[in-house]
Amino acid sequence: MATIAPPVEPAVHALVDDRTFLRKYIFSTDHKIIGIQFLLMSLIFLLIGGILAMMMRWQLGFPGRPMPGGGLLPETMASGAVILPEFYASLVTMHGTFMVFFAIMPLLVGVFGNYLIPLKIGAPDMAFPRLNMASFWLAVPAGLLMIAGFFVEGGHAAAGWTGYAPLSANPEYTGVSAGQQLWCLSLIILGLSSILGAVNYISTVINLRAPGMTWFRMPLSIWSLFITAILVLLAMPILSGALIMLLFDQSLGTHFFLPADGGQPILWQHLFWFFGHPEVYILILPAMGMVSDIISNGARKPIFGYHSMVFAIMSIGFLGWVVWGHHMFQSGMNPTLGTTFMVSTMLISVPSAIKVFNWLGTLWGGSIKFTVPMLHACAFVAMFVIGGLSGVFMASPPLDMYIHDTYFIVAHLHYVLFGGSLFAIFGAITFWYPKMFGRMMSPRLGKLHFFLTFVFYNLVFFPMHQLGLQGHMRRIYDPSTYEFMKPLAGLNRFITISAFLLFASQLLFLVNFIGSWFRGRKAEPNPWDDTGLEWTTPSPPPHGNWAVTPRVYHPPYEFGSGRTAEDFLPQDRKLDTPPAPARAPASR
Amino acid sequence: MAHAMTHASVMEPSPEAEPGAGVYNEKLGMWIFLLSEIMFFTALIGSYIILRFAHPEAWAAPGKVLNIPVTAVNTFLLICSSVSMVKAYASIADGNQKMLRLWLVLTVLMGATFVGIQAYEYYHLIEKAFVPSAGLYGSTFYTMTGFHGFHVTMGVICMSFVTWKAFRGRYTAADHRGVEVIGLYWHFVDLVWIILFTIVYLI
Amino acid sequence: MEQVAHRKHPNYIGVFIGLAVLTGVELTVAFLPWSKRTLILLLIFLAVWKAVMVALYFMHLKFESNRLRILAIAPLPLAVIMVTAVITEYVW
Repeated sequence: MATIAPPVEPAVHALVDDRTFLRKYIFSTDHKIIGIQFLLMSLIFLLIGGILAMMMRWQLGFPGRPMPGGGLLPETMASGAVILPEFYASLVTMHGTFMVFFAIMPLLVGVFGNYLIPLKIGAPDMAFPRLNMASFWLAVPAGLLMIAGFFVEGGHAAAGWTGYAPLSANPEYTGVSAGQQLWCLSLIILGLSSILGAVNYISTVINLRAPGMTWFRMPLSIWSLFITAILVLLAMPILSGALIMLLFDQSLGTHFFLPADGGQPILWQHLFWFFGHPEVYILILPAMGMVSDIISNGARKPIFGYHSMVFAIMSIGFLGWVVWGHHMFQSGMNPTLGTTFMVSTMLISVPSAIKVFNWLGTLWGGSIKFTVPMLHACAFVAMFVIGGLSGVFMASPPLDMYIHDTYFIVAHLHYVLFGGSLFAIFGAITFWYPKMFGRMMSPRLGKLHFFLTFVFYNLVFFPMHQLGLQGHMRRIYDPSTYEFMKPLAGLNRFITISAFLLFASQLLFLVNFIGSWFRGRKAEPNPWDDTGLEWTTPSPPPHGNWAVTPRVYHPPYEFGSGRTAEDFLPQDRKLDTPPAPARAPASR
Repeated sequence: MAHAMTHASVMEPSPEAEPGAGVYNEKLGMWIFLLSEIMFFTALIGSYIILRFAHPEAWAAPGKVLNIPVTAVNTFLLICSSVSMVKAYASIADGNQKMLRLWLVLTVLMGATFVGIQAYEYYHLIEKAFVPSAGLYGSTFYTMTGFHGFHVTMGVICMSFVTWKAFRGRYTAADHRGVEVIGLYWHFVDLVWIILFTIVYLI
Repeated sequence: MEQVAHRKHPNYIGVFIGLAVLTGVELTVAFLPWSKRTLILLLIFLAVWKAVMVALYFMHLKFESNRLRILAIAPLPLAVIMVTAVITEYVW
């Protein structure tokens, strides 16, 4: 046998596809199908989360008034169509739970992690395709269990999405028993699904990159998904452990978090937020990565400061482990410990700021085309800045003393999760829709959806900063019971009406998403003139992605380099081959 | 094909990819999974340590409640099963099918016995009214050892499957990935027990 | 890439004897009439020594690349940070 490594032969993958319908679309091991399965599941949960929010907003805007459609709810939830306080507590809890765990997280990690990673690194599929299928089919029962909680005696979990003990551990406090246990069980199963997914993503990025796809030639979407997967891998097990202990307190009579017999409620908070803070970076990093891809593409310019972007992602991932206490400043925790968290929290704003400046630097002097994805990506940057700025206030314990558990926090979290993550998701869905489904989404509907969403979203959430500063607490059922909050009723009503209009505007996205599937303009392989590897294969790609493993020659954002006839250089284009024949620019 | 002879071993990383971790996919995947398991046990064991600092008086002196002699034997047994596991791996790496099967069967038997002895221990503790609801001591003891036992049980099941495959001749010197990968899991479970035995029974 | 398989195995039985001995030492130490703090430090030291032996020899970390070794110990600082930070709630 030769001792010198032989020249690498391009691997020829069998692209003959003789799978049955069941194996192809239901129990599929193909990362692209699994990504789309996660997409459909998550969009349904996004809708559910939105409906729950509308019910909350009704009660806050028109406290004690019968809700339209409230008559459909059972007497345990709404008496005479008026939402009951116990049900309101469940609404608050389940809105947060569904949105965080079943909508945003799977949309970013389950959908785009699955869809983009193999395609953008030149791999035929994930490292462990059957494990990937298991991940999805574990998430489904988790979702069903979570929905089941609405139908059990005592109602659904009602201790907030953060499930603080002892409120969550002792059924006497909320009146909820089975619902809270189902909440724990569902999240434990979802945690396993996420952890197995993370194992897959990390292994794939490390070991399955195509020849020439070095670490620093990977697009930022993949870098961010990689670091996110590491966060999922190491943070979710902590939540799983904590949930098991909580479940045992609820069902086995253990005393981890129940004060009688020595349990420590604050231990729950530490465990939850040790997971919870990396979780919020899980909810934003993939969005940031995809925004980088879209902004670079839309400005026809390489990302400004690619290497510093990578190090910023790594820094956020790293520092994110040591800031968790900033969620607990008002818990009675050790104040000196609190001070260390203040310092680390202020530090972590630096890499985020670096990323913002780099996005601006990318746009500066670019040849900007405001396609629908580009609109969403630019809105992301602006909204994330607002959300991040309010975060800086919260980082200071003396300030936080005043605004903790008020609507100021609600404003902050929605600016980063909706203004940030969800806008990025809308942009990313529009951007990669042609690759997924072989059709373009309607730009007209897309732009209308964007503008309406952007306007109403700001009308809903910006005033919440004001509400919070004036003392409006979180999670309360009836603001009018407090004298000092009576003047805020008008603002609450305004927010509620804007929220209904915001919700209604999402119909445009739904129509666009479903309608384009059947009637959208057929998409060519590379409708956005992008440099990524996914655009070198048909739309949608076949099982196995490429007939011949791609070979990578260039960094990820070679726009306007002047080395080709077009204004972009695909990563796999070898430059001594003749450039593609000149063609009419794709209409956007 | 002309280059058939130069096809790299399946137990080396793939030649048609960028250099990655330097190990084949399944081994990398198992190591990464074990990292999540470290964090899972950190939640349980870390909480135990924290609770002991919060309420030290909730724990009895070593040996007063828990049966140290029996558990010491169990610990020794698990360590032995780790040795038989690694001997199984070494056997198939040298191409020895017979010894692979023998060592694997021993590992399964010892692993199952460990779980059995643990169940026996639980039974006697419950008889003494030392149950999960017996304060912080009971809460932490049963959760930590219970989940460790659960992991051992899962390991025994997977190991049985690997043993069955070994008897069907599915592992060779050139490809024994399944043996190495289950081995890593098994040693990890042993490692966790080494920590648990010390800090739960002896401190 | 190596052509020849790693023929020479580590001395697994030797490691086993070491583990058995250390376990015996632990059982003795646990019941010595020394201060609680000394006992705890000693026992943890012995347990960690055993764990490291299992990791290095049985899990073959001693013979793997630096990359894999670093990967394997990566979560440990996080675990230490979490536990020590929360302990400061009770001991300061």
